[in-house]
Amino acid sequence: MQKSNSFDAGFIAKIFGLVLFLYLFLGFMVLPCLNTLTSIFTTRNVQGNIDPLAVVRFFWAGTMPLFVWNSLKLAICLVFTVNVVGISIVLLTEYFDIKGAAVLRMGYMTTLIYSGVALVTGYQFLYDSNGMMTTWLAQMFPMMNRQWFSGFNAVLFTMTFACTSNHALFLRNAIRGIDYNTVEAARNLGASPFRVLFSVVMPTLLPTLFSLTVMTFITGLCAMSAPTLLGYNSINPEIVRLAGSSSADEAFPQARAALLSVILAMFTVILLSVLNHYERKGHYLSVSKTKAKLVKQKIHSKFWNALAHIYAYVLFIIYMTPVVMIVLFSFQNYPAIRSKMLNVKDWTLVNYFGTQNYEYMTSRGRLRTRIGSISGVFSNSDAVGGIRLSFIMSAIAAALACVIVVLAVSYIFRHRNKMRALVTESCLLFPWLLPTILICYSFRIFFNREVWYVFGNNLYWRENVRILIVMAYTVTKLPFALRMIKAAFYAIDDELEDAAKNLGASPVYTFLKVKLPIILPSVLAVFALNFNALFTEYDMGATFQSSYGKTYAMIIQNMTMEEGREGYNINASGRRCASTVFIMIVSGIILYLVYGVGARDLGERLEARKKWRQRWARLTGKKL
Amino acid sequence: MIKLNNIFVKFGDFEALRDINVHVKEGQFYTFLGPSGCGKTTTLRTITGFIEPSSGSVFMAGNDITHVPIEKRNIGIVFQSYALFPTMTVYDNIAFGLKIKKLSKPDIDRKVRDIAAKVDLSDEQLAKAVSQLSGGQQQRVAIARALVTSPAIICMDEPLSNLDAKLRVQLRNELKSMQKEFGITTIYVTHDQEEALTLSDCISVFNKGVIEQTGTPNDIYNHSQTEFVANFIGDINKLEEAITESLRLNENQNHFIRLERIHVERKSTYDGFEGVIASQEYYGLYIKYYIRVKGQILKVIEKNDGVNIYNPGENVKVIIRPEDIMSYAKE
Repeated sequence: MQKSNSFDAGFIAKIFGLVLFLYLFLGFMVLPCLNTLTSIFTTRNVQGNIDPLAVVRFFWAGTMPLFVWNSLKLAICLVFTVNVVGISIVLLTEYFDIKGAAVLRMGYMTTLIYSGVALVTGYQFLYDSNGMMTTWLAQMFPMMNRQWFSGFNAVLFTMTFACTSNHALFLRNAIRGIDYNTVEAARNLGASPFRVLFSVVMPTLLPTLFSLTVMTFITGLCAMSAPTLLGYNSINPEIVRLAGSSSADEAFPQARAALLSVILAMFTVILLSVLNHYERKGHYLSVSKTKAKLVKQKIHSKFWNALAHIYAYVLFIIYMTPVVMIVLFSFQNYPAIRSKMLNVKDWTLVNYFGTQNYEYMTSRGRLRTRIGSISGVFSNSDAVGGIRLSFIMSAIAAALACVIVVLAVSYIFRHRNKMRALVTESCLLFPWLLPTILICYSFRIFFNREVWYVFGNNLYWRENVRILIVMAYTVTKLPFALRMIKAAFYAIDDELEDAAKNLGASPVYTFLKVKLPIILPSVLAVFALNFNALFTEYDMGATFQSSYGKTYAMIIQNMTMEEGREGYNINASGRRCASTVFIMIVSGIILYLVYGVGARDLGERLEARKKWRQRWARLTGKKL
Repeated sequence: MIKLNNIFVKFGDFEALRDINVHVKEGQFYTFLGPSGCGKTTTLRTITGFIEPSSGSVFMAGNDITHVPIEKRNIGIVFQSYALFPTMTVYDNIAFGLKIKKLSKPDIDRKVRDIAAKVDLSDEQLAKAVSQLSGGQQQRVAIARALVTSPAIICMDEPLSNLDAKLRVQLRNELKSMQKEFGITTIYVTHDQEEALTLSDCISVFNKGVIEQTGTPNDIYNHSQTEFVANFIGDINKLEEAITESLRLNENQNHFIRLERIHVERKSTYDGFEGVIASQEYYGLYIKYYIRVKGQILKVIEKNDGVNIYNPGENVKVIIRPEDIMSYAKE
């Protein structure tokens, strides 16, 4: 009898799980994207008849190829510039013996906490026509074009330095993994240091470099915040523009946006297939039994050594200047920010907290006062609203992605080597094949009507848009969560589960008491990293732009536009600087928690606790 | 105590175990010995319940437990990797099984501390994470965790294989004395023949999913029933035709002799073979000689008495007694 009940409960749970999974996968992945795809071929001509190739004809006749070409041009150029800078920063800090490498490394890694829309607006602040750096450079080189920081140049420059985070993490790990004995062996056989670098070191880095190159290409192709804010006509900003346009303004904007999304998806699928194929071929692994730690190489030529140091510190200045300036200017008042000249005598916290009145002279010579027009980021209702909304939505989405993936991976591991496990995994990886913009665009169009399976609601209507954003956030973060959490599950020794079973633990108890504590640091890390990325996320926020779903990144973007209108929001730039500092602090704390505290095992935590107790006892004079 | 009757285990088309019959008596230290992939761990997992046999039965104390769930078999396991829960302290690892049995907190505490004392784990060590312990200490935790629930038998799957040579010998002795102290029936899996010979009361030698021989260490070593057992246990010389003809041995059989059963002398009263020392390996306690005899190199071990030490190139008499030869039919 008991067996029958447990069978029923298990069967019902299985059916419920299957139905829920199908509902989420079909309802929030397949159907919206399929709708986008079909919308391309169901365009109606002026007679009202369906003309399947109308958009394609329009594509070739109009300016649309220009957007595709612009995106490709940006992606190709970024591959070169990002790799040059990325490889340089890693070699300069990890391979060559450069003085002050630890400080340089910190500077090069600032993009980990300072990225996205905050970084773009920061660069804009420094480098636009009256930016501090441009003014300074123009003084040094009077022939220089002060408008240099716009369009393609600006986007390429900004993204070159913004996109080296992956190099700073993954290429650094790869170079640190090199067996120093191979370097010594090559030197012993008569190879010069540069010959060693190109013949021994670089070939072992090639697989990592290839992966980084593909990811950089995709990043360039799908660029959104930099082209939008710096004015460059690439695919993603055009999709967002078309998504917000109506057929009264231009010819079938929705179908054109869909076509561009699909083109982007095709590129992404091809590139990821190439990457996947290459990764399956394997990596170079050290065959050494006793691996030696890499020793930094001295550059013996004085000339090259000096050149390497100059290059390293020029890069450091490029990386650090925006960060330092943004921090400094966040404590400056609005006249200093507006003139982009540091006023070392006058510092303020008004960009962070509190409000001030703004007095100004009208064109008729009257003195006017705007009460509370100057406000800090934590006293401005728009900014606080954006922070709160982004915080809640990011937290919910990051948690949802983790919960879904943990349950799914647990299922995948229980049914390893079975078709159902493969299907489940493929479904979760599905969003990885599609550009974020395609998913968001599809959501926006598909759910902008009453849809029966979301209880007849229009999810792009008023506050419902927040649900839509959370769903989009969750869906787009599933593949990353899957890759990371699956790797964590692999780390669980099968014998642990056997041991728990042998000691009488049920599968649920084993999961909660044995497996979950082991994978928890990874799950929390995935949660934190996803939260971090979503908190200041721009692309999706821009696609779903709505007064009910104004994310923090959109608020920051608005700060670049609204400043000084008739005396309103006079310190929007200052608030933007303060916002960027706030983001850097949040990101820094999260990265510290993930890689600093979260990476410790129980033994290290107990050791740390013991040390704290000893310190506390020494301070208070109490015995332990 | 444990009886396996005609056990067959199949994984798809692959037959992992074929007609396995084992009888482990109460209080015995019983070892499954064999090379990798021979079926010894599969047999152990069949006993513990992780694998259900395709046919055959498992009996424990006279009861058929073939289909009894793992947790209800009352068998303790020490895993190859120890399988200690890395997110728990030593104390929590040992208490895990007791908590599942829903014992009261004081009972759990008493039992954990009792068993910890018996396996020589201090209170300070109980508060540590398992990663803070040495390999030997981790092994003690694994044994304590397996014993604390008072199982009827304990199964150990190559528990010494992750340790360095010196620690392995030290813990091997500790393991044996612990088993004697607790008096618990133990089933032990290993591929190390020295470990099996030193620890066991009874050994089953596995090969390709079948048991080749079961017996005491002396039976297995000195009276190997098959050529595989003779070759697998200890070092051995296979005698070639020139020697077997001189000794008038059956030509339809393969003939083997253990290294220590060959004797070397400068002058022999016996009719020994003429031999020349080809090389020697010095082990301290004994010396291993490679001696050329009738075109064949024979390995010989001689006790190092400090007097009778032969040098390479020296002529010696090599004595092989027919009763020391183990013969098996040619396949």
